[in-house]
Amino acid sequence: MSEKTQDNLEDIKREIVIERLRQIPTTVKISFGRDKGEFMNRDDMIRQVEGNTELGRKIIHVQLDYLKAFKNISLLEA
Amino acid sequence: MTCVLFSRPADDSQLNYLHYYSKELVELSEMLGHKTINKELQEANKATIISLVKKQKPRLIMFNGHGSPEEICGHKQEVLVSTIENSDILKGTITYTLSCSSALVLGPKSVEEGAVCFIGYESDFALGKDPESEASPRYDKIAKLFLEPSNLLFSSLLRGQNVKISVKKAKQKMADNISYLNTTKSFPEAIYYAPFLFGNYMSLTSHGNQDASIDAEL
Repeated sequence: MSEKTQDNLEDIKREIVIERLRQIPTTVKISFGRDKGEFMNRDDMIRQVEGNTELGRKIIHVQLDYLKAFKNISLLEA
Repeated sequence: MTCVLFSRPADDSQLNYLHYYSKELVELSEMLGHKTINKELQEANKATIISLVKKQKPRLIMFNGHGSPEEICGHKQEVLVSTIENSDILKGTITYTLSCSSALVLGPKSVEEGAVCFIGYESDFALGKDPESEASPRYDKIAKLFLEPSNLLFSSLLRGQNVKISVKKAKQKMADNISYLNTTKSFPEAIYYAPFLFGNYMSLTSHGNQDASIDAEL
């Protein structure tokens, strides 16, 4: 895969996750990672993803893994 | 008598939840007759914890706190155990870390250096909060779904079950809670927490002897 195609793919993933995050009610709070141990709301998470921070990349990873899990429901068989 | 050590800092919102939920584990450990050493709040510091590990040689340790792939932290994010300094301190122990990422590098390194088993999370541990709970862990129905599986895991270890069974129980509870979040009509925002709990499910792992328990010879 060329570098340009890879970049495009990363952009698409980011857009998918941002759209998913936009659906979340603003009241939902998540603490994720070591970021001062504080809880984030939807807008905090979107900022992290848009800014391509380390935390933002982790949020993308979690959201996309969850989508992939629906393709393979056996992932949830302990 | 089995010695069990708890490190329970509570110096930010997230740690406050972990501190609250792990209180019942301290009580269970005492009730089961284990020699229980509970170091919480500012006592969850490096000097105290490392000294206790060396002198008391606990068989089972629970670390609440922030973490990274190479370290576990205590009060005010002081590094307690790290790959570059003292991961051999866990030699002979079964350790459970309720922290971010420490099972990724510190876990396998500590086992290489003699830890019996290291259970933890390979990526960031997520915790959801109920907006109606007003930051009170006691009444938080969302946080409960994230932290119950962790408590189930450690209570199983305290009761003498082996690592493999204890981790399996926690994963099953997480899967049940993810299913609940996806289907409940009790509160409309439930479904949005599910991907984060799924992240915990995928990230929970154990290194070392899966048959180890506090009752078995280590």
